[in-house]
Amino acid sequence: MSNVTLDWPQDYNKVPKEAFTRHDIYKAELEQIFYGPEWHPIAHAAEIPNKGDFKTTRLAKVPLIVSHGQDGNIRVFFNSCSHRGNQVETALRGNKKEFECPYHRWLFNTEGDLIGCPNAKEFSPGFEKKDYPLEQPRTELFMGVVFVTFSDKTCSLTEFLGELTSTFKDLLLGDGQLKLLGYQKVRYKSNWKSYNDNDGYHAPLLHKAFRMLNWQGGKGRQYNSGIRGHLGFESALTVATGTNTLKDNSILDFKGSDPSKGSCIVGLFPTFVATKHLDVCNLRFANPDGPDHIEVHYAYFAHVDDDDEMVQHRVRQSSNLLGPSGLVSMEDASVFHRIHIGNHTPGNAVFQKGVKDTKSIPETMMQNDETGQLKRWEYYREIMGFHRKGA
Amino acid sequence: MVTAKIKEAIVELNAKYISALDNKNMQDWLAAFSKMSEASYICTSADNSENNLPVSMMYDDSRNRLEDRVTYITDIWAGTFQDYRTRHFTQLLSVSDIGTRKFAAKTSFQVFFTPDETGVSEILAVGVYEDIIEFNRKTYGCLFVSRKAVTDTGVLPRYLVYPI
Repeated sequence: MSNVTLDWPQDYNKVPKEAFTRHDIYKAELEQIFYGPEWHPIAHAAEIPNKGDFKTTRLAKVPLIVSHGQDGNIRVFFNSCSHRGNQVETALRGNKKEFECPYHRWLFNTEGDLIGCPNAKEFSPGFEKKDYPLEQPRTELFMGVVFVTFSDKTCSLTEFLGELTSTFKDLLLGDGQLKLLGYQKVRYKSNWKSYNDNDGYHAPLLHKAFRMLNWQGGKGRQYNSGIRGHLGFESALTVATGTNTLKDNSILDFKGSDPSKGSCIVGLFPTFVATKHLDVCNLRFANPDGPDHIEVHYAYFAHVDDDDEMVQHRVRQSSNLLGPSGLVSMEDASVFHRIHIGNHTPGNAVFQKGVKDTKSIPETMMQNDETGQLKRWEYYREIMGFHRKGA
Repeated sequence: MVTAKIKEAIVELNAKYISALDNKNMQDWLAAFSKMSEASYICTSADNSENNLPVSMMYDDSRNRLEDRVTYITDIWAGTFQDYRTRHFTQLLSVSDIGTRKFAAKTSFQVFFTPDETGVSEILAVGVYEDIIEFNRKTYGCLFVSRKAVTDTGVLPRYLVYPI
């Protein structure tokens, strides 16, 4: 727990706006949350389908390599040479048999073992290559989604995900056997918590496209999973009937097989959001960069068994519907920015819809309620050690 | 054959295109594209493009989709976003004759944006347009059959409202 303090309001539906803007709080969050006992999704195996494939990424400031080893296993390495700490790999992606640090030519295989280092005879007494592999954070996979944690104290990934696994499985097209279709990458001028509070599911009032297309939400449920208050959302698909607005409505087609859970959202503490809507399967790898920015890599997928027509449909829908410039989602991006600007004023952000008692966290909620975020906020307050007034 | 007249007409088309965007005149933007049903506009990153990853920031693969792009901006999104001005700078790099009065052209671009609320200008994206252009011998005018804006900028500094 950090030494940073923040007075938390007595009501459970209020969050002090300072939490979004203070630099000392952000530093404490890095230690407690991003480098602490939480799991962080950083990739899907479908991004590196072949032996030797790799991608580089970051978790907050920490540089990482996600590697598909020549032995077939997926590993995550700190992107830092075990010698002097130099960044080993600079490419965003690629396929290699070895990773070589150019500084002193230390050579690592795709399993991370040090397999070559010139002038080793002159190294310190007892030097052995086997003691200098690329370091690995704890890594676990869920249906191809690669999670890392930098803490020994983190619970198992199964426990972390809790009952959310069934929604997550549906979202990953049933079995996680995915094919990468591409990325949309964007930086938002927003605190990571504002992004997380407002991405994923929220009341459709914001989205004019839903009104113009006469596109009502289907029946479904919203629920919290585990102590962290991860958010799950499932609903049936509905058809847009106001189809005079667009000339090409194929962008709104559903070609999948089961519309009853045609819309799924998974929101994991702290920053991850994934969504399946119509035939879009989208994992949003979000990474904070200071208290005022978050960088989001929207990765889109098809299923490996899709035919060419289905892949093309997914490409058109993925590109145009739910991303940072999507038909029904572009306004979200605007809200991330505007909430962060507004959070520099005094007072609290207040949750209202679905709040029946301001002195407790609701156990259940309707699908359009704002209360889905409250359990996560209570977990955040507790682990950050912020004292609730009157408690 | 790529004549001076063709090059001139392509430069003219680019000027019309960027003026349309910088003036937020979406009908003029649409008017820069061919009336052919397969006319298309794609905006994507060099990372996607070079790795054969087809998902794009904007993917309008037909004339109807181009017209819907205009509807997104002028009707559906109106009043929901923080508006910004853009300023595009382009330079024609190469033109080649691909037959039947069509030409393949490459034009580099840099785009600045200035949010209305801050007035602070920043770089939105830099990259290259990869175009297929039809040339009309009667009017000496050009139109885009396809325009693909490929951004070196792998991570955009904000969400996009307008095409690039």
